[in-house]
Amino acid sequence: MNLFGVMQVSGSALGAERIRSEVTAANLANAESTHTEEGGPYRRKQVVFASQNAPSFQNTLAGAGESHGSQPRGVVVRDVVSDPAPPIMRYEPSHPDANEAGYVAYPNINPVAEMTDLLSAVRSYQMNVAAVSASKQMIAQSIDILR
Amino acid sequence: MQISSQLPGLGTLPNAAAEAARSTTAGGRGEDSFLKTLHGALDQVDQMQGSAQDKVNGLLSGNGQDVHSAMIAVQQASLSFELMMQVRNKVVNAYTEISRLQF
Repeated sequence: MNLFGVMQVSGSALGAERIRSEVTAANLANAESTHTEEGGPYRRKQVVFASQNAPSFQNTLAGAGESHGSQPRGVVVRDVVSDPAPPIMRYEPSHPDANEAGYVAYPNINPVAEMTDLLSAVRSYQMNVAAVSASKQMIAQSIDILR
Repeated sequence: MQISSQLPGLGTLPNAAAEAARSTTAGGRGEDSFLKTLHGALDQVDQMQGSAQDKVNGLLSGNGQDVHSAMIAVQQASLSFELMMQVRNKVVNAYTEISRLQF
């Protein structure tokens, strides 16, 4: 834990939230994509967050003697997974991606849920920016002690 | 004699004290130790400024640099510089105090 520990932790969260908002934006953009490279309609993507440097036995042992116990850890995007929900079938026989029965598979994306996700990502980003500013103020005030 | 042989810590205590005294006198005599510390701190501040500059350059040239990491690097550099300036002011104050000493 150094002088800028809070900033590094919050910075990792900022990066993670940015990726989450990117993925949500991709979901919104591809809400009507019926064709993808891997075949079939677009699948809704979801991010999986994980705590950075999952505590190994050595880390725990090394931290046991210190007064802090465990070190503060940032967050990383561990994975971006596809939603396994079945696609929505719409009857559009003239569509080039229609199957023999005339049905087109559309992505199972709910715009309301995606917008909520986006808002949540933006709010989390704001929260972490606030944490960075707070840490900055704390350091500046500590420097003021010298004056 | 017996006590110090039973408690090895006791025997080493005076040695440790002498060691500490020697290191402080050496630090006071040779001016390189304080200078070295100062230079090390300056180098670190310079490194922070350099990394902040790299990140801002990467951001402005569109190299895919994250906005937040560039901003955080700039803030870190600014705070390090501020701390360095305050330490420098303190050192200069101490110097002027001493130069005003009269006998």
